[in-house]
Amino acid sequence: MALLAWPLATAPGLAAGPLDGDFEVRSAFIVVDRGVLQLNAHVQYPVNDLIRGALQDGVTLAFDLDLIISHRRRFWLNAHMLDMTLRRELTYHTVTDHYVLRNENGEEQESVPTLEEALDKLGRIEGLPILVASQLKGEGPWQVAVRAGVRRGRMSDAMRALMFWSDDWHRTSEWYAWTLTL
Amino acid sequence: MDADALRRFGVPVLTGLAIAAGLGALVLLAGSVENSALFSQWQPWILLLALCGVMALGVLLARKLWQLYRDFRDHRPGSRLTMRTVMIFGALVIAPLIIVYLFSLDFINRGIDSWFRVEIRQGLNDALVLSRSALDLRLREQARRTEIFARSLRDLRGPELLQRLDEERRATEAKQIVVFDANGRASALSSDTPVAQQPSAPPPDVALQVAAGHSYVSLNPLPNGQYTIATAAPIADAVSARAAHRYVLIDYEVPQELSALAEAVQHTSSQYGDLSAVREPLKVSFQLTLTLVVLLTLLGAIYGAIFSAQRLTRPVQDLIAGTRAVGKGDFATRLPLPSRDEMGFLVQSFNDMTKRLRRASEEAMRSRQAVERERERLAIILSRLSTGVIVTDRELQLHSANQSAATILGGSFETAVPGASLAQFAAGNMRFSTFLDQLRARLQSGLDEWREQLTLPGEAGQRVLLWACTPLPDERERGGVVIVFDDITALLAAQRDAAWGEVARRLAHEIKNPLTPIQLSAERLSRKLLGGMNAEDASVLERATHTIVQQVDAMKQMVNAFSEYARAPDMKLSYFSLNHLITEVAELYRLQDPAIEIRLELDPELPEIEADRGRVRQILANLITNGIEALAGAGDGCVELSTRQQRAEGAATAVISVRDNGPGFRKEILGRVFDPYVTGKPRGTGLGLAIVKRIVEEHGGRIEADNRPEGGAKVLVFLPVSDQDRTLFAGSERRVELRRERA
Repeated sequence: MALLAWPLATAPGLAAGPLDGDFEVRSAFIVVDRGVLQLNAHVQYPVNDLIRGALQDGVTLAFDLDLIISHRRRFWLNAHMLDMTLRRELTYHTVTDHYVLRNENGEEQESVPTLEEALDKLGRIEGLPILVASQLKGEGPWQVAVRAGVRRGRMSDAMRALMFWSDDWHRTSEWYAWTLTL
Repeated sequence: MDADALRRFGVPVLTGLAIAAGLGALVLLAGSVENSALFSQWQPWILLLALCGVMALGVLLARKLWQLYRDFRDHRPGSRLTMRTVMIFGALVIAPLIIVYLFSLDFINRGIDSWFRVEIRQGLNDALVLSRSALDLRLREQARRTEIFARSLRDLRGPELLQRLDEERRATEAKQIVVFDANGRASALSSDTPVAQQPSAPPPDVALQVAAGHSYVSLNPLPNGQYTIATAAPIADAVSARAAHRYVLIDYEVPQELSALAEAVQHTSSQYGDLSAVREPLKVSFQLTLTLVVLLTLLGAIYGAIFSAQRLTRPVQDLIAGTRAVGKGDFATRLPLPSRDEMGFLVQSFNDMTKRLRRASEEAMRSRQAVERERERLAIILSRLSTGVIVTDRELQLHSANQSAATILGGSFETAVPGASLAQFAAGNMRFSTFLDQLRARLQSGLDEWREQLTLPGEAGQRVLLWACTPLPDERERGGVVIVFDDITALLAAQRDAAWGEVARRLAHEIKNPLTPIQLSAERLSRKLLGGMNAEDASVLERATHTIVQQVDAMKQMVNAFSEYARAPDMKLSYFSLNHLITEVAELYRLQDPAIEIRLELDPELPEIEADRGRVRQILANLITNGIEALAGAGDGCVELSTRQQRAEGAATAVISVRDNGPGFRKEILGRVFDPYVTGKPRGTGLGLAIVKRIVEEHGGRIEADNRPEGGAKVLVFLPVSDQDRTLFAGSERRVELRRERA
């Protein structure tokens, strides 16, 4: 399977997809509020009719935000203080004609009437508590990196494994990294 | 790593690699299927492992196919059977596999297409429209109710307003009713929750829409699958423009049945949309997966077919190889038992057969070895026999002959093969030809058994054989005979020597004694009677007595010669230079007869020899005398004396060669020149060479006489240099003598 999938997946002509467009972490920073590290980030997600059409056809999109805080070590691999992913979903609610945003476990939900509004909400992370300052081991500075990702959600993993070669609904941004000093 | 090691370890390593890669890919895939993030992370490794596994399988299969082709091309035993079996297995596997594959492809396409039939989509859309219609009806109803309720709130404030809100909430089973003032702050709240809470801020577009004098209605889904209807309407206060900005916001809960139905429609529509989006990729994925699985199955099946065919034909190949080995005489071939089935029985039978063949072969080998040993023993005995043995038939075709036969007859059987004609070995050999003529004459006359003495002529003198013929017992019908013969020439010569020695002793004893009185008597007669006789008588008497005295002297010389010949050996050995002695003796004869040239060619390296100087001088004198006498009357007579040293079988010998250019020995006496009373001269006792031979033999040496090819006689004397060489030379001479006796 992999033998034939490899060239298909890596063929240059097939690289263009619905997630093409501006997709980057515009800014990100961490503030410490009463000993708690809170993440603030602004992610620019692509907006186009392909995404809109796919959502209105029933496709669910998952939006991941990967965060890594590591401590640089000499002569050895960096020590990871934190490796977390903020995972959210975006669906189009056909009955109400709204775009619905959910967190990973579906406990929190918000519906907005437009795709632009939904993506704007997804792209603004404000005051997300990520770590207690005392959990940072060693002396600073620490390396922080943030990356956003979009993929087709609500597809069973078995189906995803079956279609990994042709799944163009998967894209990740470049890492946005900076040095954290307390 | 060399080719052999690569062949030995390559296949197990590749097989292990293929299995490990396949298992590794499966483990990673199974682990990552439950976790899509892991799958994204492990996907390259899964691909790499799968690729490695497929490549290893491909290499193994290619190697098997190449091996199969090479065996087929080289006509290896069993390769055609293997190829045929592989083709049958392959056909049995490939044909149903392709059929199943094509049916499966069609089934997948039809199956997936059936999920997305138009009727389903239409049904879903209809359900969606129905749900929306039902909810829209509800929305409109709630919106109208809110508008009416907003109008009823005109100019109501404070407790009245709250009471009115509570009444309305209870009447309509609304979840919450909030009145917002112009600043967007909640001025009154009625909620069904026991604990009052701060109402959440209204959606931004609510205030705008209400401010424009329109009512607002919105349907909102909740995480638990419920729906709420949010409605807002401006409160038309009459007092001031400020009051006109108040509005009421009511949250209604959609009935659970309706919410569940709407949510089901939403959920189904969403799932259908998800599936529809992957419809074509799903088909391709399934087709690709099926194709890959079929391909892998096909490759595996072909590999398995080759492997099975080779296993199946291995016993046959072993049998072919074993049969060839047996055909080449290798009866130690044992084939491994493949199984206990019919093939195993066949192999077992083959092994039993080779075991019996080997036993029989070993028996035959032992018999052949015994025969060979007997033949070698007989050959050794025959080769050691001094007696010549020839086995032939009546057509004189040689069956076998020993070395002594060739030596005695002066021929060679080295190139003889059984069945060769004896005549071809006798060509140019007078002695052998005469022998063959005599044999042929006897066999043709019907004789096949005799024992006689046969004299054969030869260039070096006659040879006397004692030969006997006996028919072979089992060859009588075919006329095979064995001829056994001995050269008794030396034996006869020895007998003659012994006889002459006896005669010499008797002559010396019986004749020499009376000669002196006869001579004295004759001399006395002459002295006493000569003076009283007349001249005539005196002359007669004088001549008579002179004759008597002369003859007696001659007889004395003859008797002395005999005495010399018969005397007992009594040598005085000393070391002296043979070259000096020859020079000395030759000088005497040069002075005696200057007309004869005596030429010397002496080896300066010749060492002093240990011998009786007087006897050696006698040898030289006799030989030079014979030469000079042979040259009597010749104009350019020449006697050549030469010496040289010779080493044979460890014994150093001095060789004296005396040659003349006279007439040589007469052919009829050439073989007997050393016998007493055999002489070629008109006057001579015939004892000279006999005495020389005896002296030479007393020194442990040997003497030979022959004619020179260019004319003249040649005598060779071999004298051992020292006593030690004498012993060694005697040993070698005994061997030579043995050969000579054989001859």
